[in-house]
Amino acid sequence: MTVKTMTLTEAGLNQAGVEALSAQRQEPTWFLDLRRRAWRFFEEIVWPTGEEEEWRRTRLTGLNINDFRLPEATGPVRSDRGDLPAYLREEMDSIESAGALVTENGAVRYHQLSSELEAKGVLFTDLDTAIRQHPELIQRYFMTDNVAVDADKFTALHAALVTGGAVLYVPRNVQIELPLYGITAVGGGLADFAHTLIIAEENSQVTYIDEMVSDGEGAAFHSGAVEIFAKAGAVVRYLHSQDWNTSTWHFSTQQAQMRRDAQINWMTSSWGSRLSKINLEMQLLEPGGHGELLGFYFPSGRQHLDHHTMQNHMAEHCTSDLLFKGALRGRSRSVYSGSIKVWPNAQKTDAYQKNENLVLDKRARADSIPGLEIEADDVRCTHGATVSKIEPEYLFYLMARGLSQYQAEQMIVTGFFEEVLNRVPVEGVRRKLEQSIARKIIG
Amino acid sequence: MTSELVIQDLHVSVSDGEKEVLKGVNLTIRQGEVHALMGPNGSGKSTLSYAIMGHPHYTVTGGDILLDGESILELEPNERARRGLFLAFQYPVAVPGVSMANFLRTAVSNVRGYTDQPAPSNGGGKSGVVGSNLMPMRDFRKELLDKMDEFNVDRSFAKRYLNEGFSGGEKKRAEILQMAMLQPKIAIMDETDSGLDIDALRVVSDGVNKLAGPGLGILLITHYQRILNYVQPDYVHVFYNGRVVISGGAELAHQLESQGYQWVKDEFGEAELVAV
Repeated sequence: MTVKTMTLTEAGLNQAGVEALSAQRQEPTWFLDLRRRAWRFFEEIVWPTGEEEEWRRTRLTGLNINDFRLPEATGPVRSDRGDLPAYLREEMDSIESAGALVTENGAVRYHQLSSELEAKGVLFTDLDTAIRQHPELIQRYFMTDNVAVDADKFTALHAALVTGGAVLYVPRNVQIELPLYGITAVGGGLADFAHTLIIAEENSQVTYIDEMVSDGEGAAFHSGAVEIFAKAGAVVRYLHSQDWNTSTWHFSTQQAQMRRDAQINWMTSSWGSRLSKINLEMQLLEPGGHGELLGFYFPSGRQHLDHHTMQNHMAEHCTSDLLFKGALRGRSRSVYSGSIKVWPNAQKTDAYQKNENLVLDKRARADSIPGLEIEADDVRCTHGATVSKIEPEYLFYLMARGLSQYQAEQMIVTGFFEEVLNRVPVEGVRRKLEQSIARKIIG
Repeated sequence: MTSELVIQDLHVSVSDGEKEVLKGVNLTIRQGEVHALMGPNGSGKSTLSYAIMGHPHYTVTGGDILLDGESILELEPNERARRGLFLAFQYPVAVPGVSMANFLRTAVSNVRGYTDQPAPSNGGGKSGVVGSNLMPMRDFRKELLDKMDEFNVDRSFAKRYLNEGFSGGEKKRAEILQMAMLQPKIAIMDETDSGLDIDALRVVSDGVNKLAGPGLGILLITHYQRILNYVQPDYVHVFYNGRVVISGGAELAHQLESQGYQWVKDEFGEAELVAV
């Protein structure tokens, strides 16, 4: 068949691309079937018109997915960090980790996992390798009952063209001290479909840092998904940083499923992209779960960042605590919409949701739409949202003590984020967040 | 050279209105002098302190403010601070997430000129970049902790967020501490005694007395006479209806304490009407 000999670049983001991708990777039929099914969903689901509630504030004007091509995803895997491009090496050196996986333009460039963790049965690899070596694991967990293939148009596209990303499996009772670290780098003109799959078995503990960076200033397209399974008593810390250049389109669907007494500390930060549309959902499926969801965003220029969160309480005696903070510069725009849903049987739920926005320039705009949907009667749910400007009296006070306006603003903005920064569980990540904030304050 | 702050026929309006609050203030404060400015509520005392420090809410419509012979009207508040002015606020604001030590290190580094120098390659700032050079952490820390002990400020305050959750007395102490660290030439202390119980009042006035000396001129703005039981002013000025109406020595304060402000209102309220 001609389709199979077509290069990915020739094929593009279409049915031929789906076939070519699967052929190039010599994937098993069951995975190709999943791709084909996803592609059908992608074709069936209508392109957002702007009338839908979730697309009312985020328009896709200027996006044509045919402007982007699939990466050929070939090239050598490095085992020595020194062989990585400087920008990736610097990223990697900033955080001490027990294992790392660097994917550049759809291909694994660097992979390392401590032999101690390997011996304990920890699996940390890219998706292609996992499909080949651990098909039962992927068949069981990959886009089955967590993130749905047909969740929305971009998730379907993701499933059809998925490449790269990481699979992290932590066996029962294995507790990993140092974080594992994944970096996804994408160059201009390319489409990226990285997938993160984390399975933390009973009473295991793991921290995963998931970073996205651009290779250069060219526009790219990312449609990703993150699936987290926290089994009974597991503790998962998932720290996500989206730091694309400001020309890149970013779509992401992320979902965590939590079993009895599981704990998730989830942090997401959005600095880059031209436009982001991010859906985050935690599902508390069994009693005793605790989920924390922290968010940072800081658009500038003409960036548009849209976050939607869902704290989905499906079982009793669970707690969830959400704090999202954003600052805005230039003519940028942010949308935060959040929902706490409490099902009828989820008594004794304790859920909290707070979104605060600091608008630094006149032409920037932040929308905040908190929401509650409560069907149980013995619950405690609180939410709050604020949109404010820099308090002139703060500025005067600090300047009266000798701080320049820039120093004073920087201190006020950093202070604004301090409440979230203090709760970030990894020191190295916190330092990077502080640097990102300082960089964005300049504009 | 002895520094002096000269306020000449100062007229000030609120920026968003026509209302004139200061109506020709004349006052000279030199290093080494303690001046008390007393007046009833609403007479414009706080406006005077804000105008001296350059609050954007107030507009100078006439007259001048000179520091060592140079007008400071065009200077931003931070530039005024760097020339040696300090304002202790009546109501210090709480700035969320900004730790006192972090903020004060930057403030001190600016006022003492560290930030004018390129950062040394082994320092905390970015090597060679002007503005990122701060006072060395060890030196700053030592000086801050010494001053905290000297002014009875609990050491835990260094890590706490600026004025957040501080009691009224703690805020005032923190203001005195900042003043001690910034070492101004002229300090304006706006109602530093308001809302304080006697113990806190004593701590604040002890602080003022420790700082007072040949290198510091103080303008103590107050509604009550009671802080003057602890601080001895060299000069007392009575402020009424937007200007200084009478100046004298410490005895003037005692007259106000025993007779209240009514006689001032009788005498100068009348005069104002006549003048108009």
